[in-house]
Amino acid sequence: MQDHDIEKVLKAAGPREKPPVEIERALRESLRQEWRAVVAERRDRERRMALALAAGVMAAAIGAWLAVPYFTTPAQAVGTVALATGELHEKSGRFGHWARVVPGVAVKTGQTLATEPTGRGAITLASGISARLDQATRIRVEAADRLIVERGAVYVDAGADAAAAAPLEIVTPAGSVRHLGTQYEVRVLDGGVRVRVREGIIEWRMGSGSVTSGQAGEQLTIAGGRIERGRVEPHDQAWDWVAAAAPGIEVEGLPLTGFLEWAARELGRRVEFATPEVAREAASVVLHGSVAGLSPSEALKAVLTTTRMQASLTDGRIIVAARQ
Amino acid sequence: MGSHRVEHDPSADRQLIRRMLAGDERAYEAFFNDYFPRLYRFALPRLNGDVEATRDVVQATLAKAMRKMADFRGESELFTWVCQICRREAVDHIRTRHRQSRTVVLIDDLPELRRAIEDIEAPDEFDLARAHDRAETGRLVRSILDRLPSNYGDALEWKYLEGRSVEEIGARLGIGTTAAQSLLARARTAFREALEQAFGAEAADIAGSLGA
Repeated sequence: MQDHDIEKVLKAAGPREKPPVEIERALRESLRQEWRAVVAERRDRERRMALALAAGVMAAAIGAWLAVPYFTTPAQAVGTVALATGELHEKSGRFGHWARVVPGVAVKTGQTLATEPTGRGAITLASGISARLDQATRIRVEAADRLIVERGAVYVDAGADAAAAAPLEIVTPAGSVRHLGTQYEVRVLDGGVRVRVREGIIEWRMGSGSVTSGQAGEQLTIAGGRIERGRVEPHDQAWDWVAAAAPGIEVEGLPLTGFLEWAARELGRRVEFATPEVAREAASVVLHGSVAGLSPSEALKAVLTTTRMQASLTDGRIIVAARQ
Repeated sequence: MGSHRVEHDPSADRQLIRRMLAGDERAYEAFFNDYFPRLYRFALPRLNGDVEATRDVVQATLAKAMRKMADFRGESELFTWVCQICRREAVDHIRTRHRQSRTVVLIDDLPELRRAIEDIEAPDEFDLARAHDRAETGRLVRSILDRLPSNYGDALEWKYLEGRSVEEIGARLGIGTTAAQSLLARARTAFREALEQAFGAEAADIAGSLGA
């Protein structure tokens, strides 16, 4: 079929009839009102459905929330409070009330621990791991090996023996930390998390599942899915709060060398004896008494004044020498 | 004869409906401008040329179509769906008014031809050009124009009946000259296929039967 055949057919059939203009005008407007009413009804229906749906979802959520306590396992003791300076509070379960806690009370699963802006605390888990809470910190004890940091900072000391270190996962809004026998701090920041590794190695797992590690002396700042690495020495002043939150040590009957190891670990330093004679003397000393209430550096000074030795802190070391 | 269909983009129908239901004024204008004249021409002969009745039926049809638009599933063209509503409205109108009306059986209401026009897949042996008079054949050709995809009928009329240039057609449709040329080419192909499948004859023969 050629174009001129199409033209012939169209011309023979004639143009299509046009509706009367007055009818077109009238129907255009009356149907416009009809259409607007349809749109308005639809919007109203959608709004009501959305509200009904939202109400249903909220009712289900509230029901589930209220029902959780009836389906969760009973709280289990997983450790004890080792230190509480200033105000340390706990709240058990969703419906509990905040109550002040003191050293010696049990720490249980489902419990939330919180320090005031002027308080600090420490707990010792059944595994032997020490977890310390800086000022204005709140953590939730989800399990014996899982702590949730909601705000503030937690310092973990899992012991110097990596092979013997019990597992612990510190969970933050941005990811979680596992250790391989170490000392480290996890601090929740505005929009991110900072992990400082004082000793050993930690493993940081992002919310997305990717994993990276941090070595002793490294500082990882995680924000917006990115990790920025920096340095922080084990004896840096940044760790001072950890020493302030260190649980005391029972020194009665403890060899001086054991006390010095504890102090060195708390202060992020290593012990060096100025001479072999000093080392031998330290090994022969057994302590009696108490250093309760003293910080590690205060305890170090107090203990050594009862001996013929003295200590100086230099370049990451505690140098023990004969008193002059 | 092949079994080509006149090209139809169902997504265009769905998009128009979506915009209308969202309250887009331009979508309403596009819908009215496209569907009202074609539906008017569809309804008028079915109501014995009664302009007032046609007005009522077209109004009722378009109102009902807009109310049911959210349920349109796109299984046919939107215009075909609207025509189905119009047929029922026309029957209801006649019944309601108890009019003394002779029974009108339009040739494109015959099942064979309706299928031919709506699907452009008529049986090969159907030879309408010889079976009906010139007036009915002319009306059927105009009806085919209304059944073509949006703007095709208008573009063909502007080009071949009003003698407008491609540039003018492009300007009227709000598209460029190249796009207008392309649209005209598609419109000619669609019209040619629709004619051949509906009439079982070449356009030259149809033109002859129309006395051209």
